[in-house]
Amino acid sequence: MSEEQATSPDDKVGTATGEELPPELQAPPEEVVAVLAEDMHVATGTREPILQSSGVSMVFGGLRALNDVTFSLGEGEIIGLIGPNGAGKTTFFNCLTGLYSPTSGQVTLRGKAMPKDPARVTQAGVARTFQNIRLFPSMTAMENVLVGRHVRMKQGPLSSLLHGPRFRKSEAEAHDRAEKLLAFVGLGRFSDELARNLPYGDQRRLEIARALATDPSVLLLDEPTAGMNAQETEATRQLIFAIRDLGVSVVVIEHDTKFIFTLCDRVLVLVQGELLVEGSPDEVRGDPRVVEAYLGAPPEEIEAQIHAGATTGSGTGGSGLQEGSTG
Amino acid sequence: MTAVTEAPPASTPETAPPRHTGRLAGLLGALAPRARLLGIVGGVVAILGSQLPWATFVLNQGAYPELATLPFGFTGFRLHLVILGLATIVVAAVRVPAANRIVRNLGIGIVAVAVINGLYITVEGGGLGAITAADGAVAFGSVVALIGGVLAILGSAAGGVEPRPELDWNLPLWVEWLLLVVIFVLMLLVVAAALTSGGQGGVVNPYSGAVFLSFLGAAGGAFAGLNASGLLGYVATLSERHRVFSVIVLLIVALGLPLTSAGTEYWMTVASNIGVYAATAIGLNIVVGLAGLLDLGYVAFLGIGAFVAANLSGATASAVGIHLPFVLVMVISAVVAGIFGAIVGSPTLRVRGDYLAIVTLAFGEIFVRSAQNNIGGLTGGANAIPNIPAVAVGDFRFNESITIGSVQLPSGVMYYVLIVLLVAGVMLVFGNLKNSRLGRAWIAIREDEDAASAMGIRTGPIKILAFLLGATLAGLAGAFFAHKTGVVAYDSFRFLESVTLLSAVILGGMGTIPGAVLGASILFVLPEKLREFSDYRLLIFGLALVLIMRFRPQGIVADKHRRAELAEEPEDAAKEAPGPLPTRVEP
Repeated sequence: MSEEQATSPDDKVGTATGEELPPELQAPPEEVVAVLAEDMHVATGTREPILQSSGVSMVFGGLRALNDVTFSLGEGEIIGLIGPNGAGKTTFFNCLTGLYSPTSGQVTLRGKAMPKDPARVTQAGVARTFQNIRLFPSMTAMENVLVGRHVRMKQGPLSSLLHGPRFRKSEAEAHDRAEKLLAFVGLGRFSDELARNLPYGDQRRLEIARALATDPSVLLLDEPTAGMNAQETEATRQLIFAIRDLGVSVVVIEHDTKFIFTLCDRVLVLVQGELLVEGSPDEVRGDPRVVEAYLGAPPEEIEAQIHAGATTGSGTGGSGLQEGSTG
Repeated sequence: MTAVTEAPPASTPETAPPRHTGRLAGLLGALAPRARLLGIVGGVVAILGSQLPWATFVLNQGAYPELATLPFGFTGFRLHLVILGLATIVVAAVRVPAANRIVRNLGIGIVAVAVINGLYITVEGGGLGAITAADGAVAFGSVVALIGGVLAILGSAAGGVEPRPELDWNLPLWVEWLLLVVIFVLMLLVVAAALTSGGQGGVVNPYSGAVFLSFLGAAGGAFAGLNASGLLGYVATLSERHRVFSVIVLLIVALGLPLTSAGTEYWMTVASNIGVYAATAIGLNIVVGLAGLLDLGYVAFLGIGAFVAANLSGATASAVGIHLPFVLVMVISAVVAGIFGAIVGSPTLRVRGDYLAIVTLAFGEIFVRSAQNNIGGLTGGANAIPNIPAVAVGDFRFNESITIGSVQLPSGVMYYVLIVLLVAGVMLVFGNLKNSRLGRAWIAIREDEDAASAMGIRTGPIKILAFLLGATLAGLAGAFFAHKTGVVAYDSFRFLESVTLLSAVILGGMGTIPGAVLGASILFVLPEKLREFSDYRLLIFGLALVLIMRFRPQGIVADKHRRAELAEEPEDAAKEAPGPLPTRVEP
């Protein structure tokens, strides 16, 4: 669908450990992606700004969690949002998805003001995952994804009650899409497994599948690789590329800087509620302000640390930064 | 009573190689090679016990059933023991799959029969002499039977309780259908036997409560044994495979109850009342079981339906004084109850959990107090609304008996037919809703409201819809209730009734249809049957609830979701194993 990307899933970056990924962790097969892309047809092929915020501030009592954050997400773009703990990343996500309504400033989707209610935001085409996985634990993987189809299903209460032909049609369509999405994230064989029984990494991917089921044009991922090993992180990166290729624009919050720098088209650094730096991964990586904000320690050392983090194993890089941030 | 304390160690280890811990370990370890023998001996001892005298003398209230002071007999609880004992022997000797599990459950059944009858005779007879030796007579029946049951349980624990096998045979279609018909008919007979066991009670049969409990114990053990063998699971699979067929057969079979031993006016009334509460419990199941909203004032909707129907029934005491056809009355009652449901549900937009429970509790109280004070002259206050005319079609009134050919059906049979159809309709509504976009939205809200909202579910209207639909079903049941009983009084809709309904839903199994029906049946039959125990009635009732919740927290008929939620830890851990996954604790 969107063939204009420079970083297509074809230039597969080797895994951090240098091993071949097991089949279930590999990027979704192309035929699955093609079929899904046809079903979802969200991309228009332009790179126009789709999700924008202007001067968004959020104040909790005396605490200014966000201060005048302005950003713009282009269609088919992957943006990374990084920053130390407590920088306001998740607060910003919550403002974008209607969970909070900003104290001042405005969020717009395709030029229209974002609705205030999370359900309507999803209806408008912005889906999200959560920092701590929030699946419906006692529902099967399939049912979780079907719940995601809720907004796109044409099935009123009466239809739910009577189970007529239209009900069966909408149910069949929803199941069909859910199956494709589960195959897309590599969970096809787990469709009847309860969400709570899935391994951790699979739960994260199921959450992504559930979000994709709402046919979003923008997907917000809150720490999608938290707690994952190197292999799974790599698989997640491939998955996000594939999602972008479906025509969905993506914003990612992540602590793992290596992951962000190799994934995103643009990176935003949020520090103490303010947008500190914005630019390409290379620009951000080299910016001394970022280093300082993250670590607050002598620059030479940290720079070395960051570069080390960026070139060696992702896990150590990410955690190294986090540990340093207290200093 | 000692048997009850023996049971837990036997029931806890669910895995195949027995992992015995503590003091019991040595004993069970030593017994392990003789597990099979123990089972057989247990069965033999139980049968032996059944043939000994059970009471040393005739009790004050009259002879204990089944000629308990004499040896030998193949009726009543004695017959139950013989059947359970024979089953134990056969299973232990033949080593069918999951034999230990089956033997354990049969053993529990034997223990239950022995304890219930023994305990009752002891209490009534005024001491242990009544079941051992007194006045030169010996009667060790209950003690011996108890030992037999305990031996069987010990044997099964020593042998290690296996996981329940999953059976599936590929039989020709007609065989499967025939099997389902036979099983459903058998179920009907068991239900009729359970309902009528012990008779109506009162002066005629002072021991009806004990007889009923003993029957429950025996039937429970037998069912648990069947369940352990995987046969019940197979029947469930089978009925799932032929869903429409099963539903139709089940409906026809249910309508056959008047033709069984329960075919008298009294039992028809009891069955109709159970039906009313079953329909109401299914409605509550939408609110509590699916949407996860705790409603402590739910019986008010049954009351609203009943009072609306009473007022439109043409009863002389009604304030409205019009007489509408029954079908129309039902619709109006349901709609009015539904409207009140939506009103009560509206605070759910703002309050959650405990606070919602308090709001609904308050609503229930408002309703009862208003009805008690005859608000607007609509409820009759303390006088109630009596003399509600029976439902009539043409000249035929539903409380009359019918004669078809040579078969005389008891009076009230038409009400029974009506309530069976009503419950079937309510089940259909519940089942359809559960497997739909709406049902999934409810379950999602129950699981995680914020996540549901992030998935585009507009939680407010959907929650109100749960209240509305639940109340509508209760209103339907209420309209039936008013006509069946002929009197509607505020007294029938007190807080305790709400709690009992809630218990029925939880006890039977949240979110399942058979669970709600079973729960309602148990909770509204038990108090009736336990009247003999007068002072101890509610105590026994409460104790039964506590025990069931302790040993089967997911309810008698578990929803697959609930079952997983409450599954024992080791099972969960085992499933989570695949792949080396370092899990980090979320900040």
